[in-house]
Amino acid sequence: MVQVDHSLKRLAAGFTAAALLSACSLLAPHPPSQPPTPQTSSPQPPGSPAPSQSLPPPAPQVPPPPRENHLSAATRSLVTQARTQVAHGDLPAASSTLDRALRIEPNNPLLWIELGRLRLAESDAHQAEGCGRRALALASGDRIAQAQAGRLLADALRGQGRNQEARQVESQPFMNSSP
Amino acid sequence: MARSKPHRLRKLLVVVGVALAALVALAAAWTVYLDRVVTRDFQGRLWSVPARVYAEPLDLYAGARVTADELEEELRRLHYRSGDPAAGAGVYRRHGGDFDLHARRVRFVDELREPEIVSIHAGGDSIIGLRQADGTELPVFRLDPLLVGNVFPVHGEDRIVLSPDDVPPLLRLGVKAVEDRRFDEHHGVDPYGILRALWADLRAGRVIQGGSTLTQQLVKNYFLSDEQTIGRKATEAVMALRLEAHFSKDDILVAYLNEVYLGQDGPRAIHGFGLGSEYFFAKPLAELDVGEVALLIGLVKGPSYYDPRKHADRARARRNVVLQELADARLIDAAAAKRAAAEPLGLRPPGGSYVPAYLDLVRRHLKRDYAEADLAAAGLTVYTTLNPRAQAAAEQALARHLSRLDAASRVRDAHLEGAIIVADPNSGDVVAVVGGRAVGAEGFNRALDARRPIGSLVKPAVYLAALETGRYNAATMLDDAPITLKLSDGSTWSPQNYTHEIYGRVPMARALAESMNLATVRLGLDVGLPRVADTLVSLGLETRPTLNPSLLLGTVEMTPLEVVQVYTTLANGGFRARLRAVQAVLDEQGRPLKSFKVQVEAAAAPAAVYQLDRMLTLVTARGTGRGASARLPPGTIVAGKTGTSSDTRDSWFAGFTGTYLAVVWVGYDDNRATGLTGAAGALPVWADVIASVKSASYQPVPPELIEDRWIGFGDGLETTAACSADAVAVAVPTGTPLPGKPGCASSPPNSLTDKIKSWFKSTIH
Repeated sequence: MVQVDHSLKRLAAGFTAAALLSACSLLAPHPPSQPPTPQTSSPQPPGSPAPSQSLPPPAPQVPPPPRENHLSAATRSLVTQARTQVAHGDLPAASSTLDRALRIEPNNPLLWIELGRLRLAESDAHQAEGCGRRALALASGDRIAQAQAGRLLADALRGQGRNQEARQVESQPFMNSSP
Repeated sequence: MARSKPHRLRKLLVVVGVALAALVALAAAWTVYLDRVVTRDFQGRLWSVPARVYAEPLDLYAGARVTADELEEELRRLHYRSGDPAAGAGVYRRHGGDFDLHARRVRFVDELREPEIVSIHAGGDSIIGLRQADGTELPVFRLDPLLVGNVFPVHGEDRIVLSPDDVPPLLRLGVKAVEDRRFDEHHGVDPYGILRALWADLRAGRVIQGGSTLTQQLVKNYFLSDEQTIGRKATEAVMALRLEAHFSKDDILVAYLNEVYLGQDGPRAIHGFGLGSEYFFAKPLAELDVGEVALLIGLVKGPSYYDPRKHADRARARRNVVLQELADARLIDAAAAKRAAAEPLGLRPPGGSYVPAYLDLVRRHLKRDYAEADLAAAGLTVYTTLNPRAQAAAEQALARHLSRLDAASRVRDAHLEGAIIVADPNSGDVVAVVGGRAVGAEGFNRALDARRPIGSLVKPAVYLAALETGRYNAATMLDDAPITLKLSDGSTWSPQNYTHEIYGRVPMARALAESMNLATVRLGLDVGLPRVADTLVSLGLETRPTLNPSLLLGTVEMTPLEVVQVYTTLANGGFRARLRAVQAVLDEQGRPLKSFKVQVEAAAAPAAVYQLDRMLTLVTARGTGRGASARLPPGTIVAGKTGTSSDTRDSWFAGFTGTYLAVVWVGYDDNRATGLTGAAGALPVWADVIASVKSASYQPVPPELIEDRWIGFGDGLETTAACSADAVAVAVPTGTPLPGKPGCASSPPNSLTDKIKSWFKSTIH
């Protein structure tokens, strides 16, 4: 019982802190886009079946182009509305409002991060994990969004007692880029 | 002797008295019992209000792809009228692309909105901006949700329940004039009526009049069986009397109008004038003209005998008799009756705004996601994910193409059937369900219940399982060569390509795009049947298929709904979103029962799904699905797969864009061969649906460590767009060694970067 209370408190604290963090990044104007972190080591490609011909040298590496996700005016106002609803303790309404925003911009990782934070506030770490993974996949190329998605995912994993996986997420290179 | 006679008489009197007293007591107890039944049940039924079911409201914001005409059409659908918006809520004014709208008070799932005036500026193909009355910019505004039905979630009936205020005076007076002239005077049973009926029956020598009051008819409908016995008649009479003792004439009349049986729509009984008006005329009761009201009143006497759809002449004659009776009762004047009698019946064409197939899914999801006790409460509001525009587009596309295909077919003794489901893959929201070509009829819902072999729709699962091993990529060469397998029952199986050709060595991307059976069977066997079955399950198939090699060619049977669940995960980057038709249910006070959230779970490796999805775009660009492009706006990128079961019994197409996923099935109900491949039958329907719902191109965000490379579609060798006419872009893990085409330099990085950049541009904006 004590443990449960403890983890709930931690979750709540995590939500507040993260909400503040993401509040800054989502609603404040974005900083100018950062150059992508150059890849220092070439990743090991998964083994592919060896063709009978001799292999030409691998094609030149193309670094993933930088991306930056923003909210449109419409989704930004819905996120603001959802946060007001959370502040009034109306989590179901906030959930519906974020659903609405996601229908407008289904591929915006910032919205999935927002939804994941809401799931954490509802003590649904399992659903928060799904949102975190979805956000991380969509954030590809956007270091800031990746870091936020990574933090959400780590919190969601901890909320399920999967601390080691959480640490793994936190050790990813993109976690160093802070908003 | 003299004393014994009166003694005996007294004894007899006592016996008779006791017997009489016992009888009276029994009758009293029986009456009290019936009284209880009447008050309890009638009270319950009278005030049981069905759940109101709403579609998803249309969100308007800068960039929303809604034209001015579509906006006006939507406003009309929501019963907004053109006029001066200052006059009150529910009115709009349009000048070209500019709208001033006085929006009504609406309870949405998450908020109550008070009436307000907004200005909407619509451009050529999308909304440009919105403003409030004071001129401040409005980032987003939603229209009222469309009411699409009234259901009793527990017993599944649908009704349009009228309150006393909803009943037009002509209907109220007309029903009394035709069915029970002394309704306002009698106390539930009408002795004069019975005598009159008896006299009429005696003169005719058979039963031609019942003499039942409206109250008795109501009691019969509510509480009693159909048998005609003295006992039942007596029960009916007592109950009618008790009902009248407890409830007002108006309550009883309105309950009667809501309960009376008016017709049959397949397995669906049409009860009540509200639903009857909707079913026969597609109009609210308040908008019916004299002749239409008369037709409905006339149906009470014999709903199947006078069924206007089956027996138009009888219905017409009956309507005109009623018109005459209304004129005799001075409810309408004789001239109006004569005019109305000359009018056609005015029935709506079958189909329309009624969406039984979708409501079917709503009821199932209500049962799945909510406690039955909660659903029994009165006055619930159900918010669904239905998109009425997508629903209409899907209904029309199916009807149009099936008629065309039927006309071109040599089959004359059967009609092709079909089913469509449209969903938003990101959320799992089901936005449209078409259960067959007769869309207005509630019947066999093929979209949810027709379980058919999926044919090549299974192939993406085979290729995904292969990609997930890391041993394959889009350029990996497969062997499309004959194969014979010994099955566990001792028999042998020698699959063939649909074309009966053998293609030899082909790159994986082409084998999938052209749906090659031999290459796929070899690939699936190499990957392993258990792995393929696991992939299907993690994509969302609920029961693990049997591990038979023919699984690789889609002998597994699925309903269109199940196909949607599986393909949703492919369209959603490997994340499985649980399908839902119900967003939320609010109780009478507006509190959510238990809101069902977007459920999203990681189901397959996003990088593998991305590689697969890029291959699925080649199906429509170069493969069996290439017929779609002619029906789509130029340049639209879509991903999908054709499916054809053995002997062309089932024609399937499942595919998605950035916004929608749609699955189409075409076939015969009796499972005979259609002669149609997935490309010939289902694909054109699919493409028309996708074109009319204005989908954005399918442009997923590329995962990290995946890059685009050019390969020859025929030989799988790395090349450039300039060097090979059949070059196609495929996604492979970054740095994958690919054999190059002699004489062709591999893709110059500049052009590739440009390509990716332009891709991103279109993805972000």
